[in-house]
This record gives sequence, structure tokens and C-alpha cells, in this order.
Amino acid sequence: MVISIRTELPLIMIKDVAYTYLNGTTALKEINLSIYKGDFVGIMGKNGAGKTTLIRTLNGLIRPTKGAIYINNNNINNATIATLSQKVGLIFQNASHQLFANTVEDEIKFSLRSFNLEKEESQKRINEILTQFNLEKYRKRSPLNLSGGESKKLAIASIFCRDPDILVFDEPTLGQDAKEIEFFLSLIKKERERNKTIIIITHNVEFAFEYIPRTILMAEGKIIADGPTQKVLNREELVKESSLVLPQSSQLSLALKKEGFQNIDPFLSISDAMKYLLKYFKNNTKRSQEG
Amino acid sequence: MSLEFLNAFKFMRKDSILHNLDPRAKLFLAIIYTITALLYNQIIPLFLIFLSLIPLVVIGKIFRQWIKSIQGLSFLIIFIIVLNTLFLSLSFAIAMILRIFVMISAFSIFFLTVDPNNLALSLISMKIPYEFAFSFSLAFRFVPTIAKEAQNIMDAQQSRGYEMQEKGLINQIKNLFPLLIPLIICSIRRAFNVAEALESRAFGSTKERSYYYTIKYSFKDWIFTLYLILFLTFFIILKIQFNFMPEFFSWSLPV
Repeated sequence: MVISIRTELPLIMIKDVAYTYLNGTTALKEINLSIYKGDFVGIMGKNGAGKTTLIRTLNGLIRPTKGAIYINNNNINNATIATLSQKVGLIFQNASHQLFANTVEDEIKFSLRSFNLEKEESQKRINEILTQFNLEKYRKRSPLNLSGGESKKLAIASIFCRDPDILVFDEPTLGQDAKEIEFFLSLIKKERERNKTIIIITHNVEFAFEYIPRTILMAEGKIIADGPTQKVLNREELVKESSLVLPQSSQLSLALKKEGFQNIDPFLSISDAMKYLLKYFKNNTKRSQEG
Repeated sequence: MSLEFLNAFKFMRKDSILHNLDPRAKLFLAIIYTITALLYNQIIPLFLIFLSLIPLVVIGKIFRQWIKSIQGLSFLIIFIIVLNTLFLSLSFAIAMILRIFVMISAFSIFFLTVDPNNLALSLISMKIPYEFAFSFSLAFRFVPTIAKEAQNIMDAQQSRGYEMQEKGLINQIKNLFPLLIPLIICSIRRAFNVAEALESRAFGSTKERSYYYTIKYSFKDWIFTLYLILFLTFFIILKIQFNFMPEFFSWSLPV
């Protein structure tokens, strides 16, 4: 087994972070975590595990009651939300919580306000982002008249136009159809090519298993597992503790093992499982034809 | 800026004498204390009225939430002190703060100890039509939900560089739009959803309806009501006889 040790400093370093809400609920307990530049990380766990609280600490919306958070090796405990939001772009679950402007174009303009850009530069960025998100045709339309999927796109666009180094999504695939998820994946791919750090909260096991290389599992305010997704999500006891289910491909390999297919490794994806089964049936058909 | 203090008005199920009282008795408490507080402009009587609320808060086991509701008023307190001290006097400012403390505390006791479902029942027993009583209790039940939503909206806007504290009154008013518009839109959408959910469960299909639970004004509620009447009577007499009372009753600060 090859163990790779990373020598560079983490982009995000969370040290002994704890957080207790005013009503006395402890949402985070002794969280220690390092995320490196260019990482693509998924945070999973049951509702109330502390996932949203954790990501809110990253741009100062919540200040830890204990411990410290470092971004680029700087302690952010005293940094303002306005400063942090230029580095950390947090995209919320509910798009309608942020849309208010008269037009789609104004909505993007509002996000660029704190950069004090020249008019031409600002217009250039707006045009680019509207083209990237296929929202040009809605430019003069009210954001309140957009469909659920388009509203989500606009909410993401209004953060992407700020070009932060770290992108944090809270349940981005929730309520999205296949085409919208495909579009979202293409966005993520582009941002990964630009070496952006991406953190996603999700309950979608299949999505995480297929696309996210590293997964953090949380339960009762603690991190209970952190590692390669295909290893973490194949641990049945942890998956159960997090109120998740094993990925379908893992369930299939377990079922096949039960039926006597002893030499099977857990499938890494549905397409892996399909390849294995097709090969098996082909060989079987061949053998029966020969026999 | 956190809106978590609004949770201080959220009902919490607890086992206490105050929680077990009839909601009408507690509504009566809020009204009586508000009237009593409005009778006086002097520090000492208002302070006495305020003090008389503390045992109720302790009995109701709501001390922490009550303190939070008072803390949430800090902005208003500063506003009252500055304005009254500038135009009237510091003594009057303190008296007005005490008056607001009494009113907020009385209603805070009411909201913290009355179950929204019981509130609807008590309004119905006061001959208020069911539709209105239900709407009122529903509005009451949605206060913490709206507070949470307002906090989420604020967080979402701050995450894209929105800053509340900008110079100038006009800028500050303009700055409220990114918060108010999504809040209003979300509230209207929720109202439609709730209305549809109610209609799909045949809300209002019959004029006469029966109730699974009923509330009854018991002996302890009458005792509590009697205490409130005596309390109000005492302070009315005190007000009438105020000039004959010892001098410390009208004590005020020299400034």
C-alpha cells in the first residue's frame, strides 16, 4: 500500500473547534480537519450531525466557541464576514433566501458590489457569468419568476462571479433533475481544473461515491471518518451510524458474495458492476454453448 | 447580528405551576401588567411592578429565556435612554425602560408558557370565530420559524459580501431590501403552502366542529385571577393616593 504524505500547508486547517448554540445545543465537538488546495471533499452525516454548522464557521457566519480555524495559515477568528466571503464562497441550500433584485443581471451586480470594480469590468464579469450559466436569456427577467432549477443556477452564479478560492455547497443536488446535476458536475469539473478547493454537503450517497474523492462522515458534532470516499462509504457500521445506505454497487457486490461469488472486490461504481456482470454472463453463455 | 433572541418568545413545554394555568389567566396577566405599567411614570412604583414579575418567572422555570428576551431589547434601551435624556430627563428614561421591561416580561411569560394549540382553544372559548383564533395561533407558532429564516437570509446575503453597517440613513434603509424582500416572498409562499395543506385536509368544510381537547378554568386559575385583580386594585389606589404616599415613592434622579 502506498501512503502519500502531503508536505504543503493545508489551505483550511480546523483545530479543536467546538460550537454551542445559544439554546445550549452543542453542534460541534473537538473538530480537527485539514483540507488542501485543490481538494474535493464531501461532508456527509445524518440531519443534526453538525455539517451545516461546520461550513458556516468557514466564512465567519458562526464563530467557534472553542478552537481556531486557519485559512492560508491565517487565523480567521477575528476576520470579518465581508473579507472572508471573498475567499470562501458559501452556496446555501435554499436559493430563494438570497434572490431579491429586480433582474437577474442586478442579482449578479449585487454580489460584485463589494469589489468596487470599474463599470466596464463589472459588466464584463456579469456577461461572462451569465453566458457560463446559460442565463443570458433571463438577463432582464425577475429572479423571482425563475424555476427552481434556474433559481439555484442564479444563486450559484452570484457566488461564482466573486471567484473565491474555496467553494462550499450545502446540498447542491437536492431537488435537481438529471440535466441540472449534469450541468452542476460540469461546473465542478471546470473549477477543479482551476485548482479550486470544493466542499460539498450531501446526503446523496450515489453522487458522493461516483464523483467525490474524499468524504468526511459526521455524527453528533464529531468527525467519525475521513478518507477516500470508496473506503469510507463501504464501511457498513459507519454508514449505518450516519443514517445513510451503502452505495448500490457495494450492495450488489455484497449480495453477489452471499450467493457464492467469493473473489469479488467491492465495485467502485455502477459501471464497474455492469462490466463485471456483462463479462460473467458472456463467459457463461460461451461455456454453455461450448458444452 | 443574531436573531436567536427571538427564540426567547418560543413556547417550551415544562412542568410548572405557571405552565399548568389556563391560557386566559396568563393573557389576563399580560393585560393587567401592561395596564399597571401604563399608570405610572415614576421609577419606584414601576420598579416594584417589575420586581413582582420575577417570582412568576422563577416559578415558571423560564429565567434563562426571559433574560434573553430582555437582552434582545438592548438596542431599544439605548435608543430610549438617548432620546429621553436628550429631550426630557434621565429619570424619565429609566422609568420608560422599566415600563417596557414590565410589558415585554409580561408578554414573554405569556408566549413562553402558552402552548399555541391551547391559545386557539382559549380564544374560541372567548367566542372568537375558529378561523380567526386558528390564524392567530398559527401566526404565533410561526414566529421562531420566521426568525430562523431571517437569520438564514442574512447569512446568505453576508456570504456574498453584503454589509449591513453602511454610512447614512438612506443607505441603511436601502440595505434592508436584500433582507426584507426574500423574507416577504418566502413568508407569502409559506402562507400559500399552509393554506393549501389546510384545504387539502378539509379546513372550514363544516360550520360546527368538535374539539379533541377542551380547556377549563379551574380553581387555581380563579385564585391567580383574584391575585391579579387585587394587584391592579392596589396599584390603582396607590395612583389615586399618590400624593399622600411617602416621599421616596416619587424619587427621581437629580439629573
